[in-house]
Order: sequence, then structure tokens, then C-alpha cells
Amino acid sequence: MSDVSTAGILAKTIGFSLLLTLVFTLTTLLLPQVEGEAPVEQEVDLSSMTMDDFVVLGEDLFNKKGTCILCHKPPPLGRAPDVQGMNMEAVTKERLADARYKGVAKDVESYLRESMVDPGKYVVAGWGKKGTNDTVSPMPAIDKAPIQLSTMEMDAIIAYLQAKDGIEVTVKLPTPEAAAEVTAAAPASAPAATASAATVDEALAKYACAACHSMTSKDVLVGPGLSDVGARLSMEEIRQSIIDPNAVIAEGFQPAMPADLAAKMTVKELEMVVKYLAEKKQ
Amino acid sequence: MSNNSMQTASCSRLLLWFSLFVALLFGSGGMNLVYAADTGVASSSLQERIAPVGRVQVDGQEPIPQAAVSKVRGEKPELIVAPRPSRGDYPDIGISSRAVVWVLAQMHLFFGALVLAVPLFVLVIEFMGFKTGDERYDVMAHEFMKISLTGFSITAIFGGSLALALFVLYPDFMGYMMHVFGAQWLVYAGLFFLESFFLYTYYYGWNAMRYGNLKWVHLTLGLLLNASGMTIMVLANSWATFMMAPSGVNEVGAVIGNIWEIMKGPLWNPINLHRFIANIAFGGAVVGAYAAFKFLSTRDPEKRAHYDWMGYTSNFIGILAFLPLPFAGYWLMAEVYAYSQQMGITAMGGILAWLFIVQAVLIGTILLAGNFYLWSGMSRTEGSVRYQPLIKYIAFVLVICFLTWVTPHTLILSASEIAELGGSHHHVLGPLGIMPAKNIAVNLMLIATFLSFQLYRRSDKVATVSWARAGNALLVAIYVVAMVNIIFLGVYYGYFTNTVYKVGSSVAQVGSTLVVIVAGIVIDSLMFKNAKTLPSHWGKIPDRSQYALFALPIAFTWLMGLMGYVRSSVKTHWHVYTVMKDNSPDNFIPTIGYAGNMITIVTVLFLLFVLFMFWIANLSATKQPKPVAISEGGVA
Amino acid sequence: MDNNNEMSTAATMLATVLAFVLALLAFYGLDHFFMSIQGLPLNLDLTPAG
Repeated sequence: MSDVSTAGILAKTIGFSLLLTLVFTLTTLLLPQVEGEAPVEQEVDLSSMTMDDFVVLGEDLFNKKGTCILCHKPPPLGRAPDVQGMNMEAVTKERLADARYKGVAKDVESYLRESMVDPGKYVVAGWGKKGTNDTVSPMPAIDKAPIQLSTMEMDAIIAYLQAKDGIEVTVKLPTPEAAAEVTAAAPASAPAATASAATVDEALAKYACAACHSMTSKDVLVGPGLSDVGARLSMEEIRQSIIDPNAVIAEGFQPAMPADLAAKMTVKELEMVVKYLAEKKQ
Repeated sequence: MSNNSMQTASCSRLLLWFSLFVALLFGSGGMNLVYAADTGVASSSLQERIAPVGRVQVDGQEPIPQAAVSKVRGEKPELIVAPRPSRGDYPDIGISSRAVVWVLAQMHLFFGALVLAVPLFVLVIEFMGFKTGDERYDVMAHEFMKISLTGFSITAIFGGSLALALFVLYPDFMGYMMHVFGAQWLVYAGLFFLESFFLYTYYYGWNAMRYGNLKWVHLTLGLLLNASGMTIMVLANSWATFMMAPSGVNEVGAVIGNIWEIMKGPLWNPINLHRFIANIAFGGAVVGAYAAFKFLSTRDPEKRAHYDWMGYTSNFIGILAFLPLPFAGYWLMAEVYAYSQQMGITAMGGILAWLFIVQAVLIGTILLAGNFYLWSGMSRTEGSVRYQPLIKYIAFVLVICFLTWVTPHTLILSASEIAELGGSHHHVLGPLGIMPAKNIAVNLMLIATFLSFQLYRRSDKVATVSWARAGNALLVAIYVVAMVNIIFLGVYYGYFTNTVYKVGSSVAQVGSTLVVIVAGIVIDSLMFKNAKTLPSHWGKIPDRSQYALFALPIAFTWLMGLMGYVRSSVKTHWHVYTVMKDNSPDNFIPTIGYAGNMITIVTVLFLLFVLFMFWIANLSATKQPKPVAISEGGVA
Repeated sequence: MDNNNEMSTAATMLATVLAFVLALLAFYGLDHFFMSIQGLPLNLDLTPAG
């Protein structure tokens, strides 16, 4: 038989293998130990929230749950424009004036919201999906899975982005009613509660428009009937009346319409409703 | 009908037919059962109530006409959304459920990879032996089969344990997966019977079907063994890729597509290719360790020659399959990015980015071990003295490149991580750490490895063609210019222009490497066509070289474990990405150190089981001598 | 080592120089090719990308 001790060889080769394994293990232990925590559903007491809290919440969302920071960071690290490092007011003006802009936003707030739910509306030059010549945005819609921020959470991020530039924070704090709604919807975490309405009917139901407005007649309920609103107002004016309902109040009416609709509605919902109303001409 | 089509149809066709067949069988079977309700009350509401269950017949009444049943069948089934388990829905067994599943899944995958890969190259080697008439190939192929035979049972045992653990520890998740994949698992289970049949006929029929036409039968059995094995793998892959990038379901996880649409997600084929290639590299490395062990434990020159050659072949298979892996990996990552930019960044940046330093250490180990083995192997031939002086330069280039590669590079970090590390760049080695430097390093390492390989191939030959000098000059020029070009591209575009060029130039760098490899193969095969062969001696290789053959499987095993950690972690806190949230206590990405410990545990476990497998293989060849004294003494 | 079957030193020198020139030209062309399939110029004058 062989004159070599099999046991000795076995000991040597196993020893060598274990030693090598140990080297690999040590390498991992020498590296920074970072745990990737799953986003924790934070209990936020919305009813007692000040705007400062809201801004802080927005910053937290930007860095953690929203995962915005993964891409939006200072050059040369970023994979998307460094929104924290630029003045959003100046930037928004520039972009809205750009011929390539396809959205409907009018100001910083609506532009930021639109960019989150429909990033493709304006692709910043140089940051488009590779090979699309800046026509397609690589950014995911923030209100959809996997990030799935709620309307309120996106508002908080907008508040943060406005506050850091020292511009006026135009988003509204969530009302106690909205807060109650969010809390109620949270345990079920039904996507329907946060997802954008798919049809205009859903949107009208979601925001309870028909509680005050008749859609089929000119009859006045709490607010004016809207069956002929398309004839009375332009699309711009309709949009304006939803976003800022108390700027121009129809003659003889109290300022009763909720002022936070713009904050709650997704851009898509807003556009659906505006289009729907603009076509109502009788 | 299924039996005839099985022989001829390609794998996917076969699968589709088979699943259709199974679906039909079960679908219609369930519908045609006749239930007799034992209640005497015959009311239409009762019929309506139970009608959806199947074709019903209330006692003493006319059966409901067939049309009504088919109407029920034609109705759109209610969409069932993915479950949303809360933390309390996950059983708590006192230890981390994820750790249990981690170990079992990894063991199953290790052995699965091994037993899928071995029959593949065994078949190729057997075919080579058949074609060349060289019996040594046939003997070696048979031996490869012998040593991995127990691996099939071990794979099945771990597969069963894994399934059990998943069903017990993640009931909601598994319930959902069963709902989505439905009868597909029956196909999967059925294929095991097929594979076992082909495995045993292939292995045990080896010597019975050795020559002539019977050899063709045997090769066909081997082909069918591989076909069933591959089908099993791609089916199992579809579960993993569905979890990463679900398809065929809507955004809340309700099934809207057929089984094919569910399986054919965006990551399915990249994973299939990547695992296919990696399995071969892994399998080659593991059987190489067997040969090395046998080589070391004997002094018999004939056996040493045999096991040296076996080790060389295994190493050759392992390294050859390893070289295209980066490209398959690139495709996979590109598809990941295309599917979800966020997922891509989670893998390549963020927390997991550090892991690529460990990956560099592992791949560096593999390349260094592969090179070292080639250099040692030169001692087999007398002609290698011509090339010995070059080795120290190759070694120098490899080490420098390796160190550049493992230097921590610029990472995409969150603000808190940056604060933790005190800056995103390494303090001292900053400029060496960014990607262009790494691209240079990796490409030069590949070129150096190819050079080692080329020198090894040349070491037992002397060119006789008249243009040998010119050919060598051209080859040297290609090597030198390619290396200069790679460095130039990296430095110039990497440090002096912007990102677009950086990415663009890395393609040109890889192109340069490929040109060197292709040019090397073409020139050498022309130049050494009728070359004078110098004597070479198998078995004449230093013992220490064999340790490279142990380093390879250990590094491969560890690397597989590491990449499994990434693949699973990019889903972050989702069971099924974007569709089913993971609310278990383990829904976070563990630290790299924790992962390292886990990977080491599974690697050591794998090592033990492989030893067991090899031991069993040798046991069958061992025969206890008849105990002379006792038997003569008076055993009745 | 040299025998009459092989080339003279001068011829070897020439072959080496030629080989390098050939390799340089080939890789210049290759770089050009690899950059252009990605829609990029070779950009040897350091113009920032558009």
C-alpha cells in the first residue's frame, strides 16, 4: 500500500482549508458593519405636529424610507441631481420654462410632487436612463412599490426640500382628519389607501367632491353645481380653483372648500379631475 | 401522448406540454367528481351554493347539465392578493428562522450545483474518450461520476429539509408561492424520478454499455440525465427570480398570467446562465480537490500520474468556466438595473457595496491559486525552463493588481454611513480605490492569468514554423500594447474626463483583454500546429502545488455563499419584491460580518459532507480481507 | 540558438518594430471602435462629454 499517512494528509488539507476560510471570514469582520434595516412603520402623532416637525420628518424620509439619498447626493457620488445641494426655486423656474418639460406643474411644490409620482415629466439633461437620450427617467414612482410613500409622506419631503432652501413652505400640514385617516389605514396597509385613483370617478369619490358639488346639474349644494363648469372656466382656472380654492370664490359662497386638496391629490388625480370638469359644458 | 413527445421535444417544449398535461389532468379531474349531497332538501340555492365546488348532483335529482359546469369553469376566478402576514404570523422557534433556512438552502445549492455540473463535464469527457479512443478519458469520467454519486442523495435530503423548514417557518410565504406556481412543483417532483432513473442507468450501466453502438445509448442516457437536471435547475431558478422580480402577477400579487409568464421574469435567463456556468466552475474545483487529495496520499508513480492528470483536468474545467463568469454577472446586473434601478444600487452601492471587497479577495485567491498551479505544473515538462524567468514578473503584476483591487473604493453610501466611516473615500489610498484603477487591475490580472496559461501550454512544445520569431514578436507586441492600452484607457478616461467616458472606456478595456486572449489562441494554434513535442511527465509536480487545488474549491464555495447573500439581500424587506412584504423579525439585511460567519459555517459544513461523499466513494472500492484465523477456527 | 532556418538579427529587429506598429494601430482602431459603438468619440483632446 502507500507509504503516506492518509490521516496526516487529511489533517494538513483540512487545516489548510479551514485557515483559508478563516481569512475570508476575517476580511468580512474587518469591514464596516452596517445593517440594512427594513423601514419601520413610524408612529407619528400627526395631530400635534408643527411645520418644523414635518420638515424633520421629511428629511428623515429622504434619507431612510424614501431611499432618495441612494441616488440624489453630491457629485461625484450621485446618480441623480443633487436636490439637496441646489436651490429648488431657481431650478424649478428653469425647468418649467424648458421646452422639454412635459408636466403641468406651476410652482415648486407641484413640480416636486409631480417629479415624485411621475418622474418622466422632466428628465434633467445627463441623468436619463442610459441609451434613451434623456427621454426616460430611471427614477421609480415614489408612490408605488417598492418605496410606496403616502401622499402625506411626499408632502413632508416637499416641505423639507422647500425649508432647506429657505423658501416658503407651501405644503399644508396634514389636518387632524387626514391624520386620523392615515392612522386608520395604516394597520391594513392597503395600497388602495395611498395609491392614486385609477379613474376619475374613483378620484371624485376619494375626495368626496360630490358632497358639496353637484356634477350633473347647476344646483347649488354647498358649493356651486359643476355641470357647466367647463363652459365657465378654462382648464387653468379649474386647476387653480382646486389647488387654491379660496383665491377666487364664486359669488355668494363661503370659503368652505378644503384648501389641502392639492396636497392630498396626486398629480394624476388632479389632472383627471381637471380634464373631466373642463369637458362639462352644459 | 406525452410519452412520445417527450423524446423529441426540446426541454422547454417538454416542460410546457407536461405542465399542460398535469394541469388538464387535475383541472378536469377535480371538476368531474360527482358529489352526492345527503340532505333531502333539494333547493336551487343549495345547488348554487355547492356548484362552484364541482359538478354536483343532489340526491334524487337530475344532474346539473354540463353546460352549467363549464360556465362555472369559464368564469374569471377571483384574484387573490399576496398575504400580508404580521410579525405574529411567523413562528418563533427561539433561533433565527432565517439562519436555519440560510444554512439549509445554501447546502442544498452547493450540492445541487455539484451534481448538476459533474454529469455535464463527465459527458463531455466521456465523449472525448469515445472520439479519441483514449481509454484514460473514459476511466476518469467514470471516476468523476463515482465520487459525486452520493451527492445526489445529499442534495435531495437538503432539498427536502429546506422545503420542510420553509413550510414550517414561513407558512404564509410558502402558501403564496404554492398559489402562484401551482402544479409546477408536481412537474418538479416528477423530474426527480426521471433524473434518478437516468442517473442510475448512466452510472451503473457504464461498463455494460462501453463500446460501439451501446456507447451511443450510454451517451444518450448521459444527455438525458443532464437534460432533466438542467430542467430541474431552471424550474427552481424561477422561484428565486420570481421573488426578486415578480412577473405574471399584478402589483398586489394576484396572479394574472399563466405559469409561463410567471416563470419568465426579467431575471430568469440571466440567473439560469450565470448559475449554469458557475456550477461547472464549482464542480470542476470540487473534484479537483479529490484528485489532489488522492495525489498526496500515494507514492505510487502510476497513481500519482493519474491523479495529477485528473487534478489538472479539473482545474482546467474550473478556470475555463470561471473566466466567462464576469460577463454573465455583468448581464445579470444589467438586467437587475433595467428591472429596478433601486435594486441595482442596493446591490452595487449602499450597504452591500463593501461586499465587493470580499469578492475581490476571493476572486484574487482563485486567480492566484490558478496561476500558481499552472506555474507548478511547468515542472512536468523539460521545455518549461525557457519560460521560468517570466513567472516572477507575472507574479509581481498579479500581486500589485490584486492589492489595487482590494483597496476600498468610492462607495455610494447613505449620509449616516458616510458619517460612520468618516468620508466616502479612503483617506490614504483614495485615488487607487476608484473604479478606473480597479478596471485596470482586473483586466491586467486576467491577461496575466492567460499569459500563465499560454506559457504552460507552450512549455512542452517547440515551434517549427519558419515565422516563429515574427509570430512571437507580434504576440509580445500585442501583450505589451494591450496592457499599455488598458492602463491608458483607465487613467486617461477615468481620471481626466467624465462618467460617460469612464463607462465607455471600460468596455474598450474588456475588449482589449478579449483581443489578447483570442490573438493568443489563434497565433499559438497556428504556430504549434506541427510542433516538436518535448517529453512531459505527469505526476512530476511538487506536492505544495496541490494546495492550490484545495484553495480553489474553498474560495469558490465561499464566493457562492457570498453571492447568495447579495442575491437574497437585494430584495431588502420583501419576500417577493414589491408584492409581498417580509414582516418577520429577520427582515433586515444582516451585516457583512454576520454574513461572513454564516458563510463560513456553511462552507465548513459543505467540506464535511464532501469528505463524507468522497469517503463513501472509496468505501465501495475497499474490501476487508477474509479473517483467516477465525473462519478456520470454527464458524459454523 | 540561431540557425540558418531563422531570421537575422536585423530582420528580427525589423519584425519587432513592425509588430509594435501594427499592434498600436490595431488597438487605436479597436478603441475607436469600442467607443463609437457606444456613440462616443475617441476624444483625445479632453473635450468634456456633451
